Amino acid sequence: MDDKVRVAEQQDLDTLESLREADADLRLPAVVEPVAYPLETLTPVARQQTPAVGQRAPRPDGRLHGLGQTKYIDDMTFPDMIHAKVLRAGIASARIISIDVSEAEAMPGVLATLVGKEIPVNSYGPSIQDQPLLADEFVRHAGDGVAAVAAVSEQIAKDALAKIKVEYEPIEPVFDPLEAIKEDSIKVHPTASNIYASKIVKKGDVEKAFAESAHIFEDQYRTQMVEHVPMEPHASIAMWDANERVSLWSSLGRITLGRADMARVLNMPVNRVRMIATIVGGNFGGKNELTTEPVLALLSKKTGRPVKGVYSREDEFISSTTRHPFIMDYKTGVSAEGKILARKVRLILDGGAYCSWSETTLGKACILSPGPYNIPNVHIEAYVTYTNKTMTGAMRGFGAPQVCFAYESQMDDIARKLGIDPLEIRMMNAFEEFADSPTGQVLESVVVKDSLKIAADRFGWKENG
Amino acid sequence: MTDVTLTVNGKERSASVPPETTLLEMLRSKLNLTGAKLGCDVGDCGACTVLVAGKSVNACLMLAVQANGRDVLTIEGLATAEAFHPLQKTFEELASLQCGFCGPGIILSAKTLLDENPDPTVQEIKDALAGNLCRCTGYTKILEGVVDAARIMNGKQDAA
Amino acid sequence: MIRKGRGIGCMWYPIGFTVMANPSAATVKVNEDGTATLLTGTVETGQGSLTVLGQIAAEELGIATDDVHVVSADTDTTPMDTGAIASRTTYVTGNAIQLAAEKAKNILFETAAPMLGVKPSQLEARDRKIQIKNFPQKSVSIGEVANRALSVTGEPPIGSASYNPPTVAMDPETGQGKPFSTYVYATQIAEVEVDDETGEVVVLRIAAAHDCGTAINPMLVEGQVQGGISMGIGFALQEEMLFNDQGQQINPNLTNYIMPTSLDMPEIDVDIVENYDPTGPFGAKGVGEPTSVPTAAAIMNAIYDAVGVRIHSLPATAEKVLMAIRENQANGQKQIEGGPAQLPAE
Repeated sequence: MDDKVRVAEQQDLDTLESLREADADLRLPAVVEPVAYPLETLTPVARQQTPAVGQRAPRPDGRLHGLGQTKYIDDMTFPDMIHAKVLRAGIASARIISIDVSEAEAMPGVLATLVGKEIPVNSYGPSIQDQPLLADEFVRHAGDGVAAVAAVSEQIAKDALAKIKVEYEPIEPVFDPLEAIKEDSIKVHPTASNIYASKIVKKGDVEKAFAESAHIFEDQYRTQMVEHVPMEPHASIAMWDANERVSLWSSLGRITLGRADMARVLNMPVNRVRMIATIVGGNFGGKNELTTEPVLALLSKKTGRPVKGVYSREDEFISSTTRHPFIMDYKTGVSAEGKILARKVRLILDGGAYCSWSETTLGKACILSPGPYNIPNVHIEAYVTYTNKTMTGAMRGFGAPQVCFAYESQMDDIARKLGIDPLEIRMMNAFEEFADSPTGQVLESVVVKDSLKIAADRFGWKENG
Repeated sequence: MTDVTLTVNGKERSASVPPETTLLEMLRSKLNLTGAKLGCDVGDCGACTVLVAGKSVNACLMLAVQANGRDVLTIEGLATAEAFHPLQKTFEELASLQCGFCGPGIILSAKTLLDENPDPTVQEIKDALAGNLCRCTGYTKILEGVVDAARIMNGKQDAA
Repeated sequence: MIRKGRGIGCMWYPIGFTVMANPSAATVKVNEDGTATLLTGTVETGQGSLTVLGQIAAEELGIATDDVHVVSADTDTTPMDTGAIASRTTYVTGNAIQLAAEKAKNILFETAAPMLGVKPSQLEARDRKIQIKNFPQKSVSIGEVANRALSVTGEPPIGSASYNPPTVAMDPETGQGKPFSTYVYATQIAEVEVDDETGEVVVLRIAAAHDCGTAINPMLVEGQVQGGISMGIGFALQEEMLFNDQGQQINPNLTNYIMPTSLDMPEIDVDIVENYDPTGPFGAKGVGEPTSVPTAAAIMNAIYDAVGVRIHSLPATAEKVLMAIRENQANGQKQIEGGPAQLPAE
């Protein structure tokens, strides 16, 4: 045993102060200044008053938004969390011959990959389960995901996507909904027709009423495909645990049904899935169904780590749902005085590659298409068809903005032709309390005429005529 | 790796980052300041707006090294332990923000405007915010919030 | 030359899903100090729905908005909810919350009745107190009652309820039925400027009168209307996903997909049309989606009023409007050259 103990000379030692500085330097990046905010904050008066209903109460989350304290999914992080990215097909219609992920998996930093065949039940959708989470046999639109990668950084995951080799056999696509509804058209899915849902609403006898009408108006209107553009792109984090339970933090706007969908595609009981939504950075109908949550869950299962997946703005456009383009044919019979006697409507909805919320959109558009007017005779037919384009789904109004554009455009043409003021013709035809809707429903709490009058007064319609 | 030292919200901060790291990435992942958001990654949406040397910039378009040695203000540094910034106060009172994702960027763009032009017209406010997209609010209550904040800052209204 | 025009868009819109069940459940717990905690499975997606739902719970319990803390959006803790979709939250989730709060309140009434020496049916909850109807001098604080319920009577003041809007299935042949429980109504009137040399359309002003039943929080309703209008302007004039002949989107970015900025926003006058729907919570219906519905229609009619062209396909980009103006001018020219104008085909 060497009992010679060397005592350091003073000059060998750093000063305590310099050690502290060095220590502080090392700690700098990790030590975060907390968000500053007034320690004594006041509760807005309107939030403290009773009765509560009718108060212009500020939102408590509004304060957090302004301070930058609201935590969206992408602001959250967990120890050992890794990042996932999805490869998009880029081709609108094809059979997948093979997917080779071996080179991607061999990349340093890549921890796992996933393809559609590894997903227990690789189909989902709110009404028809016609959409794969990752396409495994057929690609039906260019934004279809075909494989996913999880890596230690988002950049490595992106780079790894380029190493995935997918062999496609192109299939002739169909993009035009009017082509797609033809009997002999190319079929997007293995169904007899591309039309996957239809609806009819009829009341009275339109043909007889047309014959009795003083004027007939016939027009076609079309609308475009629109994206929701929530400022926050879709984002989720999945964490699989050793008890076969998965937790998901997701930007989904309907977590209960999201949980049911998760349980279905992962083939596990509902209580094994926990879905948590933080505040969602904009929805507008675009965050109403699963996107990559099950894929992230399975990547988490494979790697034993939390997995985050955030859509790029491009993902948001090409692979999330959009608003249905409509082709709308309107035929309207009007009396000499300007009363609408009959309206026949045919709606063709471009449903894109998968059903998503098309049935709801179809139903609402169909029912609402005659407008808020008393029309004794209506005949409405609506069809939604598959095409090889980005799928369409729920978007603010479920078809109502489209049909409103049509029925209100035609209303003004009728007014002009008959020499009636546009406000007057609407007042003449608008629903009143207990009006009979196109589906025969007796309507209550109806204030169409009040809204016309109030808007016209505010606008100064009569004064500025 | 490149060493970058910034003065963020009044405190000096350093990190060693790959040279291609954007200022936004450094703020969010190295400094854990997540107030600035990634909305598009190409400077279209303004959700990543921060102030560098007093000017609003898209932090997704600026490399961290370009900001080396400069003053950076993020939304986290706007309020103090004594008071909210008037913009934070009026935005809360008027419910100017809805989902709030664009909020940090919009507030910092508005702050830049009010620092340079304490009494802007509505058109000048619209011009100043044209690079910050918002999908929820129609900008209406945001504009009202900026007008009210200007009024407070000009002493025309009590800052409670 | 800059030409001005004005146009009306009028609409109706339903609340909730078409026939399909879309229930919500809620739990309201009254705490020992008279504040309350609301559990809801819906998600705040920016509308301010949690604030509104808190106001509904507060109203039923006779307490203030700030007295209610809202816990949302965690499937491990919050009850079932169909979610933030179909303008249903205020109406459907709101109804569930009102029912749940009523159940909790009834427990408070049962507890307070012997304290005040009256029957539970004689009580009401107001201003943070349980008081005797028409004799408010005799009251006891909600906190005191809640405490008693928890520690003495052993029935915690917790209420749970669910609500699903009543509908009647549509006949498959005729579509006749009652697909929705209720509808809202609205009118927007737009004033635009159209440059007839460039086709550019500027929306100057929109007067918007919206029915939402009772406005639980008028400030948040205004925010919905203003936001819906901006989305409507994008739909009307700017936004379109464009594809090449391979079916690939050519503008999947915010550089080339144009959406409204602060510069595109008109002056907006919002009026909330007074209304009360007895089937909704405190008379409320909903407001989320319908705000975006009539905007494009109003703008197209205003364009027609300004320059006499009918846009049959959206969006009405400057190029499209200009082309329509040129066609109109060419037709007018032809008519002058070729004798009397032909009436448009009916």
